[in-house]
Amino acid sequence: MLLKEQGTLQTPVGVFSAKHEAAISEPEQSQFYKQLIPLSKPGAGEQYAFKVDLDKCTGCKACVSACHSLNGLDEHETWRDVGTIHGGGLAGASYTQTVTTACHHCADPACLNGCPVLAYEKDPDTGIVRHLDDQCIGCQYCALKCPYDVPKYSKSLGIVRKCDMCHSRLAEGEAPACVQACPTEAISITIVNTEATVTAARTGAGFLPTAPDPSYTVPTTQYVTQRTIPADVEAGDLYALKPEHAHLPLVFMLVLTQLSVGFYGLGLFATDATVSTIARVIAFLAMALGLAASTSHLGRPLGAWRAFLGLRRSWLSREIVVFGAFSGVAFGYTAAAFTDLVPEVVEVGLGWATVLSGLLGVYCSVMIYHDTQRPFWKFSVSALKFFGSMLGLALAGHIAITSYFSEANVVLLFPMFVMFATKLVFEAFLLGDASAVTMTPARKSAMLMLYPLRKLTLTRFIFTGLGLLAFGFVIIDSSNAVLSAAGFSFLLIGELLERVLFFKAVAAPKMPGGVMT
Amino acid sequence: MSPVDFVKGQLRFRCHDGVLTERLVQTPAAYGLGRVPNSTKPDATVDSVCGYCATGCSLKVHLTEGSAVNLSANSNYPVNLGMACPKGWEALAPLAASDRATTPLLRGDDGKLAPVTWGAAMDAFCGRFKDVQSAHGAGSVAFLSTGQIVTEEMAYLGALAKFGMGVLHGDGNTRQCMATAATAYKQSFGYDAPPYTYQDFEESDVLIFVGANPCIAHPIMWQRVMRNQRNPEIIVVDPRKTETAMAATKHLPLKPKSDLALFYGLAAHIVSLGLVDRAYIDAHTNDYDAFAAFLSDYNLETAAEATGLEVYELDALAHMIASGKRVSFWWTMGVNQSYEGTRLAQSMINLALMTGNMGKPGTGANSITGQCNAMGSRLFSNTTGLLGGRNFESESDRQDVADILDIPVDSIPAEQSLSYHEIIDAIDRGEIKGLWLVATNTAHSWINQKRFRKVREKLDFLVVQDMYHTTESAEIADLVLPAAGWGEKDGVFINSERRIGRTRKVRKAPGQALSDFNIFRLIAHHWGCAELFKDWDSPEAVFRILTRLSKGMPCDITGIEGYADLDALGGIQWPCVSTPELRDEHGEMQIEQQRRLFEDGQYYHQDGRAKFLFEAPRPMPEPANEEYPLILLTGRGTSSQWHTQTRTEKSDVLRKLYPKNPYVEINRIDASEQGITPNSTVTISSRRGSVEATAVLLASVQRGQVFMPMHYGVTNHLTADAFDPYSKQPSYKACAVKISIS
Repeated sequence: MLLKEQGTLQTPVGVFSAKHEAAISEPEQSQFYKQLIPLSKPGAGEQYAFKVDLDKCTGCKACVSACHSLNGLDEHETWRDVGTIHGGGLAGASYTQTVTTACHHCADPACLNGCPVLAYEKDPDTGIVRHLDDQCIGCQYCALKCPYDVPKYSKSLGIVRKCDMCHSRLAEGEAPACVQACPTEAISITIVNTEATVTAARTGAGFLPTAPDPSYTVPTTQYVTQRTIPADVEAGDLYALKPEHAHLPLVFMLVLTQLSVGFYGLGLFATDATVSTIARVIAFLAMALGLAASTSHLGRPLGAWRAFLGLRRSWLSREIVVFGAFSGVAFGYTAAAFTDLVPEVVEVGLGWATVLSGLLGVYCSVMIYHDTQRPFWKFSVSALKFFGSMLGLALAGHIAITSYFSEANVVLLFPMFVMFATKLVFEAFLLGDASAVTMTPARKSAMLMLYPLRKLTLTRFIFTGLGLLAFGFVIIDSSNAVLSAAGFSFLLIGELLERVLFFKAVAAPKMPGGVMT
Repeated sequence: MSPVDFVKGQLRFRCHDGVLTERLVQTPAAYGLGRVPNSTKPDATVDSVCGYCATGCSLKVHLTEGSAVNLSANSNYPVNLGMACPKGWEALAPLAASDRATTPLLRGDDGKLAPVTWGAAMDAFCGRFKDVQSAHGAGSVAFLSTGQIVTEEMAYLGALAKFGMGVLHGDGNTRQCMATAATAYKQSFGYDAPPYTYQDFEESDVLIFVGANPCIAHPIMWQRVMRNQRNPEIIVVDPRKTETAMAATKHLPLKPKSDLALFYGLAAHIVSLGLVDRAYIDAHTNDYDAFAAFLSDYNLETAAEATGLEVYELDALAHMIASGKRVSFWWTMGVNQSYEGTRLAQSMINLALMTGNMGKPGTGANSITGQCNAMGSRLFSNTTGLLGGRNFESESDRQDVADILDIPVDSIPAEQSLSYHEIIDAIDRGEIKGLWLVATNTAHSWINQKRFRKVREKLDFLVVQDMYHTTESAEIADLVLPAAGWGEKDGVFINSERRIGRTRKVRKAPGQALSDFNIFRLIAHHWGCAELFKDWDSPEAVFRILTRLSKGMPCDITGIEGYADLDALGGIQWPCVSTPELRDEHGEMQIEQQRRLFEDGQYYHQDGRAKFLFEAPRPMPEPANEEYPLILLTGRGTSSQWHTQTRTEKSDVLRKLYPKNPYVEINRIDASEQGITPNSTVTISSRRGSVEATAVLLASVQRGQVFMPMHYGVTNHLTADAFDPYSKQPSYKACAVKISIS
């Protein structure tokens, strides 16, 4: 009986719904937010922007949950966040400020610029940077490009989503959810002059201390305060060491495509036809695996064909197109090894086309990461790692293949040793940043590798070390195929681990966060 | 969702164009709401008071076919004016948690909790408790109630246990939060009566917050402070530079537990300046002269010495308090959870009385309450006080209750109940052998946790009644009774400003979980005392009984005839006496929405006067020394955390908004002297335990002090079991610790 009673929901009394039906035209909440949104739409050269009065924000975080509830987000999904910055003198003189943050609807949005399928648009009238969910293929490159950690990937949906400033509410004269829900009216919508915002950001005028440099994307959010923010202010999560996502499909994709390009080079330059054929077959398999891995990285792989759309701006788009072409000519070049129907000049032409397009592809890979503006992924670092893997693995591969058939070309051992030693020394050198005085991104990466990722870092060095050791014995026993195959495998694993670290140990820029434990 | 549906859904998202955009489409909703997500478009809405803190915000629950699908803040409720904190916004999420208790669980011979039927659970409950009582006496079974269930349930629990089951001792977790304020008010005003209404936040010229951090603990009260148009001075008295201290016009970072000396010094200075309101004192108070004589030992110098503050700062504050402007004092746990909290609260009451800052808009000595129904518990839990704020030891009070409830007067115990820590001590001595915990998590929240765990071993039978089978307490129970939570039952809460507001059933409880109300009915039936509760058949019936019990008491709510009155007025503050003028000719209530007490200067003591109460400050029970050189402060971590986190940790959104693991805030210089680096793991040790936490280095914590939030179970392994002698409230806030690198 009691259980039955517990299971019954009373239908709410009719008067409640009836009482409110009359109020449809004007939401009851509008009495509180009317003065917090502009009366007019932005004019030419203007756009909407969030304005945050720091002096009123006290960290209640209602904005985060209201945004979640009023936008119908997934259970774990939030588009807003609240962090803290603190500094100043001791006790009474200390400074702590909570900072609410969402998408900054940048004047030069990096997410939009990086998207390979044009799934972002900057609304020409309002300046709101909108994500077009159905265009998205779930590559998550925007999440790497955005310095404010705004686009959030949803595993269950296979796409990223982000704050759209409640554009449909604004269009109807309603305030965005966060504006409606702030008990202290700290968040409002304002209209900014785009050009002035660009000038301010590019000349280094204050956006918010501790936030990533605004000159990159020109965020439009206006943080205002009457208080003096001390010079030594730090983000609440500055010292938190949280490894980033490993992106395993990308790890395999990068290392295997680089191996593939290297091996096609081997195929092209090998004097022995058998060696060339084997190199091409391995290269083809690596390429196929690598590209398959890259597809598995996508949340919605069926849309990947649209990747050419972003060619004008996105390095990811370029990489996809170049590797697409590469796979075509590479297939031809690999097939040519098994038939006499292809004239030699065509075969050599295909070989050169494969290698050159492959090199261009690897260059695009480097640029994808360089373009995120993350110091750990800057051109010199990524190029050394990516081209280094390509060269080193190709040389090791040649030694391994030749040792199987006859004697290994011991002369190649020297450049191979130099290549891997350079990589290891360079990576070890980066660890030295851990002792930097301030918490720079470089120090964060070094500390990530030395502390939470210590085992991974150590394993990376051990595998490459073992690989080199194995090849060291090849000098003595140059036709020992088992030894050289083991050496090659160790080096390959070493490179895969290097790439896992490449993703996990990057210091990802973001808005100041809170205490993280 | 079946695997096939999952795959179908995934294929839809990933292969079709158009379906993803649809997911975020909004639709204009009726019921005064703005645009809402299409996916949760309501077909009705209903207002319900939130079940976390004592602010008592009204939430507008969006319903589809009677069941809650979403909620937003109620724009028209006088408490929250369209706002809610993140816990309120996420109030529905904890209901859907996977660790809800869905059947009774009984510890079997194998030592494991296993599901049983309600019948078997009731047999165990009644059988085991009756066995304990027959072996050790009726008083050997005790209960610990809560500030988290509705008033009707509290009253039922207290009445069932004490009138039906013969239990003598029962207390509530309100002992951990509001006992000090309640005791201070009782002694000073003659009744536990927080005098203010939230409008006072907006009408005050000087707001003095003591041991309170409303910015994150009561954000919707802070909203009212920010709405104050009088350009107020906001003074925050707190050892830490909290969010509220940051937002204040003046922060006084005093030494821990030096506040009593501070307020006596201020009072002495005001006396010496001749700025007291003699007319008010003479007309409405007793014992002022003794207080003034007592103050001769105090002055600004003694206060500055004790607090570490500067004399000029204190002089300015004293002038502000005595300026004749509207001055209000607001305190929370920094005061209540102190070994001398009652006198400390009274030191502020004294200041308000002697400067005439009582009963006028924007004034008062005001305790901000913790739990959603702490006030309901204080009035009607029938634990340490008899129903309606009465006294068990008074024969006439017992007779009144017996008459109103139509029960034999000898079923009402004539002895005072032990308080929480005395119950724990009695278990330790072997006098109490059976314990029943309702909606509270003693195995996390009680001070000096290690001792509690040891004491628990001495119990023959421990029953825990809770929403979740995973709370620290449920895990060590012998019997777990699955309870419906907020949103799955009806009743009223009484908030900080004495406002009685309705909370409603908007979801079905999972599995066989029952509302606490229905569990009590079931127990009454199985115990064989259902006859006493024949009229207690619905929450509203019990509410009407409570209005009858309030008759003639300061909390008289005889004017409220039923829930419909509460709905119509947006909650009603007590008192609400039934008088001929209360209703107009249409039967509609004519009563102000914001009322404060003591506007006529009449207090609840026999002679209508308030009392000055005072006592010399005592040293901290556990000061820092060479071995334990740091003082550990405890408190609220973030606005997205609630107490022992049994509910807030169930929301994905709230979880994102607080640090996952325990942390300790350490002064930067102290840390660097010890070689502690930011975010490293450190060990914090007190005389009672040793725990690990992440070091957070800040300037906002003073040297020689560290701070740990109470939400992590480890914190109470360090705290020291000292208590206020009057309120019996634990002194959570300060004990001595040391820190070392792990």
